[in-house]
Amino acid sequence: MGEITFLLNGEPVRVDGAPATRTLLDWLRETRGLTGTKEGCNEGDCGACTVMVTALEDGTPVHRAVNACILFLPQLHGKAVRTVEGIAGPDGTLHPVQQAMIDHHASQCGFCTPGFVVSMAVGHLNGRRDHDDVLAGNLCRCTGYAPIIRAAEAARDAPVPGWMRADGDAVATLAAGALETADAFVPDSLERLADWYAAHPDAVLVGGATDVGLWVTKALRALDRVAFVAGVPALRRIEETAAGLRIGAAVTLEELHEALAPRHPGLGELIRRYGSVQVRNAATIGGNIANGSPIGDGPPALIALGATLHLRHGTETRDMPLEDFFLDYGKQDRRPGELVEAVTIPVQPDRLKCYKLSKRFDQDISAVCGCFNVTVTDGRVTGARIAFGGMAATPKRATAVEDALRGQPWTATTIAAAGPAFDAAFAPIDDMRASAAYRLETARNMLTRYFLETTDGPATRVLEVPA
Amino acid sequence: MPKDHGIGASPTRREDVRFLTGRGKYTDDIALHGQTYAVFARSQVANGVIKSIDTSEAEAMPGVLAVFTGEDFVDVGGNPAGWQINSRDGQPMKEPKRPVLAHGKVRHVGDAYAAVIAETEEQARDAAEAIVAEIDEEPAVVDMGKALADGAPLVHDEIGTNQCFDWGWIEDNRAATDEAIKNAPHVTTLELVNNRLVPNAMEPRASTADYDPGTGEYTLYTTSQNPHLTRLLISAFVLGIPENKLKVVAPDVGGGFGSKIYHYGEEALVLAAAKKIGRPVRWTASRSESFLTDAHGRDHVTKIELACEKDGTFIAFRTETMANVGAYLSNFSTATPTFLHGTLMAGNYAVPNVYVNVKAVFTNTAPVDAYRGAGRPEATYSLERVIDMAARELGIDPLEIRRKNFVQPDQFPFTSAAGLEYDTGNYGALVDKLEEMIDRDGFEARRKASEKNGKLRGLGVNTYIEACGIAPSNLVGVLGSRVGLYDAATVRVNATGNIAVMVGAHSHGQGHETAFPQVVADMLGIDENSVEIVHGDTSKIPFGMGTYGSRSLAVCGSAVVRATEKVINKGKKIAAHMLEASEADIEFTDGQFSVAGTDKSVGFGEVALKAYIPHDFPLEDLEPGLEETAFYDPANFTYPAGAYACEVEVDPETGKVTVCSFAAADDFGNVINPMIVEGQVHGGLAQGIGQALIEGTVYDENGQLLSGTYMDYAMPRADDFPMFKVDHSCQTPCTHNPLGVKGCGEAGAIGSPPAIVNGVIDALQRGGIDVTHIDMPLSPGRVWQAINGAQ
Repeated sequence: MGEITFLLNGEPVRVDGAPATRTLLDWLRETRGLTGTKEGCNEGDCGACTVMVTALEDGTPVHRAVNACILFLPQLHGKAVRTVEGIAGPDGTLHPVQQAMIDHHASQCGFCTPGFVVSMAVGHLNGRRDHDDVLAGNLCRCTGYAPIIRAAEAARDAPVPGWMRADGDAVATLAAGALETADAFVPDSLERLADWYAAHPDAVLVGGATDVGLWVTKALRALDRVAFVAGVPALRRIEETAAGLRIGAAVTLEELHEALAPRHPGLGELIRRYGSVQVRNAATIGGNIANGSPIGDGPPALIALGATLHLRHGTETRDMPLEDFFLDYGKQDRRPGELVEAVTIPVQPDRLKCYKLSKRFDQDISAVCGCFNVTVTDGRVTGARIAFGGMAATPKRATAVEDALRGQPWTATTIAAAGPAFDAAFAPIDDMRASAAYRLETARNMLTRYFLETTDGPATRVLEVPA
Repeated sequence: MPKDHGIGASPTRREDVRFLTGRGKYTDDIALHGQTYAVFARSQVANGVIKSIDTSEAEAMPGVLAVFTGEDFVDVGGNPAGWQINSRDGQPMKEPKRPVLAHGKVRHVGDAYAAVIAETEEQARDAAEAIVAEIDEEPAVVDMGKALADGAPLVHDEIGTNQCFDWGWIEDNRAATDEAIKNAPHVTTLELVNNRLVPNAMEPRASTADYDPGTGEYTLYTTSQNPHLTRLLISAFVLGIPENKLKVVAPDVGGGFGSKIYHYGEEALVLAAAKKIGRPVRWTASRSESFLTDAHGRDHVTKIELACEKDGTFIAFRTETMANVGAYLSNFSTATPTFLHGTLMAGNYAVPNVYVNVKAVFTNTAPVDAYRGAGRPEATYSLERVIDMAARELGIDPLEIRRKNFVQPDQFPFTSAAGLEYDTGNYGALVDKLEEMIDRDGFEARRKASEKNGKLRGLGVNTYIEACGIAPSNLVGVLGSRVGLYDAATVRVNATGNIAVMVGAHSHGQGHETAFPQVVADMLGIDENSVEIVHGDTSKIPFGMGTYGSRSLAVCGSAVVRATEKVINKGKKIAAHMLEASEADIEFTDGQFSVAGTDKSVGFGEVALKAYIPHDFPLEDLEPGLEETAFYDPANFTYPAGAYACEVEVDPETGKVTVCSFAAADDFGNVINPMIVEGQVHGGLAQGIGQALIEGTVYDENGQLLSGTYMDYAMPRADDFPMFKVDHSCQTPCTHNPLGVKGCGEAGAIGSPPAIVNGVIDALQRGGIDVTHIDMPLSPGRVWQAINGAQ
């Protein structure tokens, strides 16, 4: 009941009495003496602490690269962890990516190297060939990256070593079940979670810990009681319903990407820039919504798609348009003990485009994130859903702009005429990411861009517009 | 045919297996029995008077073993600057004390004023938060111009000014340079900023200290590029621990780039704390602490003038620079903007007049010191930008104007107008090689193709020269260095013929463990796998000044050669005894000692064994054993040089710059391991291009660091670079070290920023946009504003 159970480099481990917010990185380094996994930033930005986590999902083992620095031990309950020490074979045989790293001189000082090795080995195991994306969450200051990319390419067709698949078989043998300790609850069903949370409304719910992890490692907050929701089967589901695609709150951003990119490529591209592979593998859509950040990229896109939010308190559920959930900065329409259960996206033709304005392409916080979904029938705007992040204290729908467009001909004149509506819709702030004026100007330009990209005008061919 | 072993071959690195399997041992990986944890209380304000510090609550907290404040270190020394610089008026530089912990005042955000030692890191952190410090915030100075203005707040009240020194180089050339510029037919003037950078080694700084009361010995494990220098500074200047009682170990170190050359207060604190509590004390920086307290790099504001004839012949360079040294002088911070910068201000050119003025300025920011290239990137950037601008003004091809002014191959050794004697080089050959690499004839077609896509394409070129192998003690002594800058090595031949080489250089990415054995094995005719390199431990190696300034192979490698030569000479004595011949008749080739003109010989292994089984040695003439030490102090710096080019695309709509190609032709003299050299150039290019395009350190007017995390400081990523083309086949071996090597670690970071900026300006100019300069980093915002400002 009270022991966190998982596999570490193939060996079963039971951890008793660890605080709910003990990070895997600290535990590996301080308790287990496995110092190969490095701390480079302790906030999920540098990837030096990357480990492989294998979980059984609907009977199939799924292997993910994640950052150990913002991964709490209870999140591993019932899973398998492989660190850099377990990437070479039991007899010391190097993994193909390790040999390729040597052959291509892809390690210099060696400090970021373990993280790269694990990211590459997981990519290799999963048959990934988009090395830039697989490695975008790992920073290196010595090599200039080219030798690392060459090594990944050189190793890509080598057979997967048997030991890399062993976790998949072994994890099935773990009889982990639910876990409850003094400060941690790892439920195995939605009903138990909902009941527990209704009884403990002051607890913190953690999905992937990519945000809450920083409360602990950077803000040094102590959390008295935490529930880890990512293993609840009902929250992990993506299902087609009459109302649309229903996405459970614990679906990761990476899974959301897989599910939605084919339907809405613009959202797919947004999610690719949302965070590194390690972050997308951990972060959940429910967490992204529930934390209510004004600069989260998920909510504007989902609002533009007309998503409905499903909340649950005990056995009682209620639904609302997602935009109504965000009341004010740090304040959402969520009662004590009520949790985000799922979000439903209506099926619709793809008209969505998402524009993320940030200082760099990968893994940056948006200065402005604009998401547009405009329906034009016979040359006139018959529907408009436009939402922004970074323009207000919450993710916010641009109602005034939508009103200015609705019923009007879909022309440059209309776009220009809608310009002043942005001033009515938003009063953004000046901060280090952008000035208010810049935000308003770029938000207007995003509408122009949407217009150009959805009409016969010249394609802008701009993948990104860094600030 | 590439060689498969020895000098010039590229064996894969023997370090790699341990790094790739997670078995590297870095400072924070070392756990000592009973260790405790140090956490520092750091200033939240950039400038403030410490009224009081109340540690009573912290001291009473669970697990707390000791609390230190600046008061505890009032009687010990300060961390000194390694170079004494005199101002133009002959006055010595202002050198305020840099204490272990701030005392009386805090001078930058992150300045540590107290430290807690506790059983766990969490307890230490909680207690550090419980320290009540009453600090009166005062106005901060961040901008150098404002810091030098009358009435500016002072960083150090006791020196009465924010100016550390006002240095002229060469002061005797000043009048002639002024006169030459006054009378010149053409003068190009450029004001530019060399942007401040955070080194960002991936391994944060860390230090663990242990004290043995039984022997009185201290051990310090620390992230250092030069453990002996750290020991010397702690012993001679800061804590006064006798050198023979202090062991400094720098195990595997996860990158340095300059930031781990220096001694930092945290090292002294953990040593003092370990003695006080009688247990090991460990401290590891968080990434936030690294951003706030690692020595930053660059941060120059420069006005440069180039006077030339109408045909482009250079007459004079004159510069005025303000160099930010931050809140305290770090160990190399006075050398970097002066002798590593001003002396290079003649570049690769036979220009007759050079005058450099540098004012070093204290500000309420983190200390600034050497960062990959250290002074030479700043010199190269100023020179190569103004030359590019002059070429454009005069309508001369940018490579031709450089060729026209190069020091010619028959002029070496050549004394530059900035006072250095370049031993050898062939700059024209480097430009020829570069032109071969870049398909310049095809540029116009590529430019048109870019234009079709709405992009502006430009070609940026530049050359560089650097002074490396930072050493010659006699020279640096004249220039103000307070230490000698030689290096040392011991070659220990074991009885069974394998070898340990103890080197003063420290490897933290440079692959010494692989490259140095290539040299020894080549000289001794043995398998390089039987040679082991030992470094980073003051108790194991004879002495060493460490690794920085692209000096490891040129200086320490030369010491290895000298020690190996001594081993061979000793071996000849032993072989002569074994072969009953005269020592003078013994020859050593391919691992065999033989008697000239005979077929009598013994192998190196037999001689080694004999050295340790000296049953029949004539002991008056021949000592047992086979181990030799050499200290090597070169006659001069080495002078690597190169020619770089890049093609960039600018999106005029967004200001986004894309580097399409980058080619680097370098002359490093002889090359020991081409694979490692290529890796070093790649890394340097990545940091230089990072500086040019995305990296910037931003303080607000109150001295708060705005770019203090990886979310806010743009670290280069793979997609910021093209695949680089690098070449080091143009080799003019250094004339004064035995390997003929020059050093390669910094070249890429020195040579690449001007190429990028020249390329962007070229793109804009070809696109009809009259922008002549943009300060780095060339972020889309800056480029866009420049474009729109010009139209």
